[in-house]
Amino acid sequence: MIYLDNAATTPMDPEVIDAVQESMRKDFANSGTVYSLGLDVKQRLEDAESQIRESLSIPASHKIIFTSGGSESNNLFIKGYAFPDRKLACLGLEHPSVAQTLEAFRELGNEPVSLLDLQTEGRLDVSNLSRLKNEKVRLLSLSHVNNELGSVNDPTLILQALAEQSPQTRLFLDGVQAVGKLKLSPVMWRGLAGYSISGHKINGPKGIGLLVVEGKIDLQPQIHGGLQQHRMRSGTLPVPLIVGLALAIKKSVEKTEETIKNNQKLSHHLVSKLKSLAESLPELELQFNSSLSEDLSRQSPSIVNFSFAPVEGEVMLHHLEEKEIFVGLGSACSAHSKEPSKILTGIGLTPEEARCSLRISFGAQSTLADVDAFVEAFGEAYRQLYSTFNRKTTHK
Amino acid sequence: MNESRTILVRYDEIGLKGKNRDQFINRLVKNIQMQMKDVEGLKFKVPHGRIFIHCSQESSEECIRRLQKIPGIASASVGVTRKPEFDALAAVGVEWIEPLMKPGETFKFCVRTNRADKSYPHKSPEIDREVGSRILGQLHSKGLEVSIKEADFILEIEIGQDETVVFNNRAPGLRGLPVGSSGDILGLISGGIDSPVALYRMMKRGCRAHGIFFDNRPFMGRGGYDKVVKLSKLLNGYQGKSKLYVVPFEDIQVAIRDFCRPAHRVVLYRRMMYRIAQAVAQQKGCLALATGESVGQVASQTIENLNAVSDVVTLSVFRPLIGMNKQEIINEARELDSFDISIEPHPDCCSVFMPPRPATRAKIADLEDDETKYPWELLMLEAMGKMETVDLDNLTV
Repeated sequence: MIYLDNAATTPMDPEVIDAVQESMRKDFANSGTVYSLGLDVKQRLEDAESQIRESLSIPASHKIIFTSGGSESNNLFIKGYAFPDRKLACLGLEHPSVAQTLEAFRELGNEPVSLLDLQTEGRLDVSNLSRLKNEKVRLLSLSHVNNELGSVNDPTLILQALAEQSPQTRLFLDGVQAVGKLKLSPVMWRGLAGYSISGHKINGPKGIGLLVVEGKIDLQPQIHGGLQQHRMRSGTLPVPLIVGLALAIKKSVEKTEETIKNNQKLSHHLVSKLKSLAESLPELELQFNSSLSEDLSRQSPSIVNFSFAPVEGEVMLHHLEEKEIFVGLGSACSAHSKEPSKILTGIGLTPEEARCSLRISFGAQSTLADVDAFVEAFGEAYRQLYSTFNRKTTHK
Repeated sequence: MNESRTILVRYDEIGLKGKNRDQFINRLVKNIQMQMKDVEGLKFKVPHGRIFIHCSQESSEECIRRLQKIPGIASASVGVTRKPEFDALAAVGVEWIEPLMKPGETFKFCVRTNRADKSYPHKSPEIDREVGSRILGQLHSKGLEVSIKEADFILEIEIGQDETVVFNNRAPGLRGLPVGSSGDILGLISGGIDSPVALYRMMKRGCRAHGIFFDNRPFMGRGGYDKVVKLSKLLNGYQGKSKLYVVPFEDIQVAIRDFCRPAHRVVLYRRMMYRIAQAVAQQKGCLALATGESVGQVASQTIENLNAVSDVVTLSVFRPLIGMNKQEIINEARELDSFDISIEPHPDCCSVFMPPRPATRAKIADLEDDETKYPWELLMLEAMGKMETVDLDNLTV
C-alpha cells in the first residue's frame, strides 16, 4: 500500500499509540476532581501542556485550549472572538471549517470581506492590506498552509504588514497543515491572536486538537458546562488523547528539519518525474497548481497539486486505488455536488482543470520509491483513460 | 412476573386460497421460524385459520417486531391463553384495565369476541356481555364504563378449538404473500431510491428477490458497491436466503462510450444490463426480472426506451413502480427504511459516461446498428466470468 494523502490524515505513530494506551489504562480519573487520583491525572495534563508549550515555543502570554480537532478550534476562535458583529476577513481559499464559519456570520448580517483578488499562487499578497483598515476588519483568518495547494501565508510577514497597514486587525491562523511540516518561528506568537492545531495530521490521534489563544482574549464559549479550560471550553478533558497529542507534537517538531528535507526531495522528484512523463506522453498536458517555488515562506514541500485535463481526478484516483495507491482529491465529483474545488477555481483554474486534478501529500513514511510507483501507475492509467475522456470532449 | 405469552398471527391473502392453502401456510410458518431461529423457547401451533406462537413475556416484543417484517402476515397480537371460562377471561380484563384508570376519571372499555370454534356453547355477543359485565362489576365504582364506539380499551377474545387467547393490541403486518410461495426473481438493484422499493414490492407478492448490481469500479470507487450491499442486506432481513450478484460493468461501459452514438449510451448500457440479468437469472433459477423503472422518470424510462431494453430479453420483466410518482416511491422507501441508505452520498455514475443529450426515443434498429460496433457477446461473457456472489445470510460485515 502506498499512502500519499497525508494532508487528509496520517497513520498513528506506534509510540503515540502506546502512550495513549498506557494513559487510558492509568489516567482514568477526572482531572477536575480534588482527590489524589484526580490530582495525579491533572498533573499528567499539566505536564502534557508544558511539553506542548516547550515543543512549539508558545509563550506564557498565550493560553492553550484543547478541542476535538482543527474544525472545532477554528469554530471556537472565530465565533468566540467575533460573534456577532466584529468585522471579519479571509483570503477566500480557506478550509471549509474556516470558510463555512465565516459564512455563518453572513446570515447574521455581518458580511465577511474576501481578499481573493489579493491572492498570488494561493498566498495573500501583503502589499495592499489598507483595505482591511478602511473596512474596519477586526479579524483576518487565514490558513498557515493551504490544505489543497500547500501555499504558505508567512505569519511574520503578514503580522508586520498588518502592523503597518491595519493595526486594528488581528490575525488568526489555521495551522493544521503547518505543524511538523514547516519550522514555526517563535516570534510569530507575539502578534498572533489565535492558532489551531490538529492531532491526526501529525501522526497523532483523531478527536484531539488545540487552540492557542492570546491570553488577553476572552472567547465566548461554544460549549457550556463545567467551566473547564479558562471557562472557554467546557467538558471533561480526554487526558489520554492529550498525552498522545503532546507526544505527536514533540516528535513532529523535533523532526521538522528532517521532514522538510525529505519532503523537498520527494516533491522535487515527483515534479521532475511527472515532467518527464509528460515529455514521453504528448497527450499529457500537465499543469502544476501548487507553486514550484523552493522558498519555504511561499510553498510547503509536503503538498503537490496538479491538473491533467481532460481525465477526471476522481476517476484517476479510483484507478490508482486498484493498485493500492491512495491519493487526495481537491475537488470531489460527488453525488452531492458536481461543483469543483473552490480553492482551485479561486486561484483561477477553470472548473474542468479543477475537476481534473490530484493532490499528493507526503508523510513521514513516504519514500522516493512511492513517488516512482505513483508516477508509473498514473502514466499507465492516463494512457488508458485519455482516449475515452478525449472522445467525450470531442462529442460535446 | 414472567408469564408466558401467546402471539396470535393472522395471515393475509392466504386466507383466500383454495386447495393449495396449506402449502402457503407451511411456507409462512417456515419463514417465521427462520426469522426467529435465534429466539429461545418458542412453540408453534397452527390450528385452522391462525398461527399461534408461545413465547416468554420478554421475547414477545422482539417477536412482534420481527413478525411485522415478514410478508404474508395481516396482523399479530400478543396475549395470554386462558380457559374459555367467563370468570377467567374477565380476570385478565380487570388485571389489564385497572392500572390504566385514574382516580376521579371515567374509563371506557368494551369486549370483542371472535368465536373460531363454532362448537363453543355461547355465541360471541353473549360472551362479550358476560365477560364485560364481570369486569364492570369489579371496576364500576372506580369509574369504569362500557362504550363500544369510544372505548379507551378493547379487550379481545379469540375462542379457538385448541385454545382461547385474550389480547388488546393488533400490530399491523406487511400483508401480501409469504416469500417463497411465488418463486425466485432477479431484481436489478442500484444504490438509488427506486430499485430497493421494487424488490420489496416483489417480496410482498411472495417472491424471493435476489439482486444483481452492475459495478463500475474502478471508474467510481467502492462506495456504490458498499451501499448496494447495505441495501441488499436490509432487503434480505425481510426474506432471508437471498443473494446479490455483482457484475463488473466498466469494460462494457467503456466500449459503448467509445464505439457507439453518445445519445444512445444509456439505453445501450441498459440493454447490456438486461441481457446479463437474464443470463444470470436463467443460471440461478430465477423466473423473471424486476426493475425500479417508472414511466418518464428519466430519459431512459420513456415508453420507447423501456420497449427498447425489454426487446433484448425473453423473460418477463416486472416493474412494480411503473405507475408510481416519485413521492409515492419515496414514502415506500421510508417505510422500508431504505431511504436513508439510498440518499447517502456517493458518486453513482461518473459524468464521463453520460451523454450530454440522451436520446429519449431510441429506435431499436439504430441500437442494433450500434451494437454491431463493439463485441458485446464477448464482453458479456467476460463480465459474467468475473461475477461475484454475495451470500446475504452470511455477511461478515
